[in-house]
Amino acid sequence: MTTATVALDEQVKEALRLVIDPELGYNIVDLGLVYDVAIADSGVANITMTTTTRGCPATSYLQAGARDAARSVQGIESVDVTLTYEPPWTPQMMSVEAKRHLGIADGGGW
Amino acid sequence: MPGVTLSRWTMSYFATALVSLIIAELLMTVGYGYPNAPIRSAESLVLVHLTALGWLSLLMCGALHQFVPVLVARPLHSDVLPLPALACLVAGLAALVLGFLQMGGLLSAEMIGFPVAAVLLAVGFALVLWNLARTLWAARPLPLPARFVAIGLCSIAATVTLGIIFALVLGGVAVNPHLVDITAEGVPLHAIGGLGGWLTFTAMGVSYRLLAMFMLAPELDGPRTHIGFYCGAAALAVAIVGGVTAICIGASLPVILGASGLLGLCALVLYGADILRLYRARKRRVIELNSRMAAFALASLAAAAVATAVFVSLGALARHIAPVVFLVVFGWLSGLGLAKLYKIVAFLTWLECYGPMLGKAPTPRVQDLVVEARAVRWFVLYFLATWAATVALFFQNPTAFQVCTGLMLIASLCIIGQLGRIRRLLDVNPTMRLPTGARLPQLLRCSVQQR
Repeated sequence: MTTATVALDEQVKEALRLVIDPELGYNIVDLGLVYDVAIADSGVANITMTTTTRGCPATSYLQAGARDAARSVQGIESVDVTLTYEPPWTPQMMSVEAKRHLGIADGGGW
Repeated sequence: MPGVTLSRWTMSYFATALVSLIIAELLMTVGYGYPNAPIRSAESLVLVHLTALGWLSLLMCGALHQFVPVLVARPLHSDVLPLPALACLVAGLAALVLGFLQMGGLLSAEMIGFPVAAVLLAVGFALVLWNLARTLWAARPLPLPARFVAIGLCSIAATVTLGIIFALVLGGVAVNPHLVDITAEGVPLHAIGGLGGWLTFTAMGVSYRLLAMFMLAPELDGPRTHIGFYCGAAALAVAIVGGVTAICIGASLPVILGASGLLGLCALVLYGADILRLYRARKRRVIELNSRMAAFALASLAAAAVATAVFVSLGALARHIAPVVFLVVFGWLSGLGLAKLYKIVAFLTWLECYGPMLGKAPTPRVQDLVVEARAVRWFVLYFLATWAATVALFFQNPTAFQVCTGLMLIASLCIIGQLGRIRRLLDVNPTMRLPTGARLPQLLRCSVQQR
């Protein structure tokens, strides 16, 4: 991975913070819903993400929102968003800020 | 947009259901039906069916069209069928009310209301059942909450079948002796199938998933939940299959209902323990209004179960059945329905308006569509008035009952006002209310915008 792609990786993650989970009202990056952002040298962003629950009615919107947000970053030519439920999301995947925002204690899974 | 599970007609079901609720509460407030008329009078039956069919069943159908796909993580079988189903159900309800009015001599016309109602309601529920059953069937093996829904669908099929038998016998179309016996003795089975199987058991299943989702609690799938499911399903099977058989062969119906009641009580106790666990294990310490008000509804169900057990042990259930059923219908089912509507309407409105904007512009949260501090007083008034109306029924005080149902009516109208504000985005911060490209949702129908 080059320095340029690492910088793009961070820019894409920042752009993804525009996308919120409507139910929790916090951005999908700090909620831990974005499992991986990988930028290829060709400018293709591969995003692996999940939702808080299987069958969430907002799933397609979240996927499309992530695609549009990442695509808005200069240097990103195309975006591939993969949805996965392995591993299943748990509240412990949230950042400290997100947990504090939602009043969730640290430690433990469910 | 592929993959978006936004039910187009759910909001139309909700609106029609709420109109029925308001009419039913208005009728109770002006003294129509029980307790100012006998419990089996035409007036009381109009009231009962406006509430059970017009309000609760339409609410449940609308909610299931949206949430069965969520429960099984698959799209609804057909997004077209809900509209003709709604038209048949509303027309069927109108015909049924006409039939009751004709039966009571309140309308002097030929008795066509019941047979017409039988056909329309059968077609309407068949369309709903077909759509939801096909959705469930495609998702086998079903997760536990969806199995509750499957049993609920079997229950509404049985309830509607019994209702059709009643309608055809009362309308003079059917004269088979077994059908006449079922009409004479089968009302408790009709009520258990409808209130217990279709509405309560389905609500239990959906609540396992929704409460876990909304409170960030673990989804329960342990032995206690499974045993509760089997107890509930067995209670319904004993009541409906055993009850119909007992009527046809002349066996004792009270024994069957007693056995069913014991199983049902076990299911409710286990469900109560599960729900307590969900509330205790939730990750969101500060919970939203819908979950707080759902606790009031659950308390109403618990109170109704305890009251039933006490009245049965005292041999006084028949005398006090009205306040128990009222508490189940308005405290538990209607209370839960109104509480969850407050969340579901906001969530669907958010999806419809702001879902297509994700990633393009800053969007508000679902919670930004509501003002809980304003809505909470109407929910509290609704529950206090419902509980007071139950007490008034227990002490057989019609005047106090009418005052309480009047307060329920005011509370319901104000809650509906809050739902209207949600649909029109009136409480969203103006800076985020309508980002470029977003459309104001229609009041009565959901439309999915293309990105």
